[in-house]
Amino acid sequence: MNTKTSLHANHLSCIRQNKPLFSNLSFELNAGEALLIKGPNGSGKSSLLRILAGLATPTHGEHLWCGEKIEDQRLHYFNHLHYISHNNGLKLELSIIENLQLAAHLALVQIPDLQTMLSQLQLLADQQTSVKYLSAGQKRRVALAKLFLIPKPLWILDEPLTSLDETAQHFFITQLQQHLKQNGICIMSAHQTDCFHAIPFHQLMLPC
Amino acid sequence: MLKSIWFIFKTEILIHIHRSKTWLYPLCFFFIVMILFPFAFTPDPLFLKKWIPGCIWIAALFSNLLSIDSFLLNDLEDSHLEQLLLSQLPLPFVLLIKLFVQWIISILPIIMMTPVIGLWFHLSFSTIKILGLSLLVGTPCLTLISSLGVVLTLGLRQQGMLLCLLILPLIVPILIFGTSITQQASVNLSTSGPLLFLAGLSLFAATCLPFAMAATLRMSCDD
Repeated sequence: MNTKTSLHANHLSCIRQNKPLFSNLSFELNAGEALLIKGPNGSGKSSLLRILAGLATPTHGEHLWCGEKIEDQRLHYFNHLHYISHNNGLKLELSIIENLQLAAHLALVQIPDLQTMLSQLQLLADQQTSVKYLSAGQKRRVALAKLFLIPKPLWILDEPLTSLDETAQHFFITQLQQHLKQNGICIMSAHQTDCFHAIPFHQLMLPC
Repeated sequence: MLKSIWFIFKTEILIHIHRSKTWLYPLCFFFIVMILFPFAFTPDPLFLKKWIPGCIWIAALFSNLLSIDSFLLNDLEDSHLEQLLLSQLPLPFVLLIKLFVQWIISILPIIMMTPVIGLWFHLSFSTIKILGLSLLVGTPCLTLISSLGVVLTLGLRQQGMLLCLLILPLIVPILIFGTSITQQASVNLSTSGPLLFLAGLSLFAATCLPFAMAATLRMSCDD
C-alpha cells in the first residue's frame, strides 16, 4: 500500500435535527496510524464515521483523502475504504460464502483464499448457513472477514468488537496490527478500550 | 464487471425467492381483485369482454404498487444499502439490476397469468395476446417510475400511502396507452403505434431513471 495515504479532517461539524453533535473537529491521520473515537451514547460517533466514509456530508468543514477533497473524488475514495456500520450490512437471506462473494463483487475484486480465512474466524462449519441463523458474534465475524479478505488502505469501523468473544477480539487486534504495519489507516469507535493497549491509538473524545 | 452483474442478479433472485412477500402477495392480490370485478359489474360475457382488459391493467398497476413498496426497504434495514452506495460498481447499474429482478419476480408472474384470467372472462385469443404484449412492454415503465417514488420516500413512515399519491398521477399516460392498445385491437386498428410508444417509454425510463434514482438515494441516505 502507498505510504503517502493520509486523511485530513478540517473543522468538521455536524448538526442533526437542530442539535449540534460536534463542531470544529480537526485531525490528521497518516499511513500506519489509527484513531479511536470515544464518547457517550448519542454523542455523534456514528454520524462522524458516516461523514468520514463519505456517506453523509458535514454541516461545515471538509475532509481530504491524500490531499484531495472527498466530494470531488467520491468513487475513487470509496475504492480505498471499508466501512462497517453497527448492523453489519449483511444480507440475512444469503449464506456466509455468498455474502462475502457479494462484497467482493461489489468491490470488483476476486477473493483469493476464502477457506483459510473462514477457518481462522471459526466459521468454516457454517459457511453454507444463512446469516439469519447465526449468532450476533458470528454475524460480526462475517462482517469483519471482509476487511481481511479485500485489502483496502482505510478501515472505518463502528464498534467492531461488539459481541465478539475473546478469541475473535484477539484475532481482530492482530489483523489490525498487521494492517497498520502495512501502512493502512484505521478509524474506529469503541466503548470497551482496555483490549487495545497493544495498538498506539490516537484518541478523540466527543463531548456529550 | 459482467461477472459481478451476473452474480448480483443471481443473489437478488435468491433473496426474493426466499421472501414470498415480493412474489406471492402481488400475484394473489391480482387474482382477488380480478375476481371482484365481475361481482361489482355484471357477469355478462359481452360486457366483460369489453371492459376486462382495462381492469387487468388497473389490477396490475395496483399489485405493482403493492410490491414495489418493499423495494430497498430491506436493504435499508440491514444497512446493506450503505455497502451498495460504497460499491465500485456504479450505483445506477446496481439499481437497474435490482429493479429488473423486482420486475421479474413480482410482475412477470402476473403477465404470465393473464391468459388464464383472459380465458375466465371469455376474451378472444388475439385480445389476450395483445393484452399480454402491452403489459410486457408497459409494466417495466410502471416499475421504474414507482421505484423513483420509493427512493424519494425511503425511510418515511406510512410510506405506502404517500407513494400512491405521488406515483398514480405520473402513470396515467401508461395506463391510457396500455388500455387503448386492446381497444384498438378490438376494432381491428393497428396496435403497433401505441405498443412501440410504450416500449419507447420503458426504454427511456430504463436509461434515465436509474441515474436520477442513484442521485436521490445518495441524498436521502445523507443524514
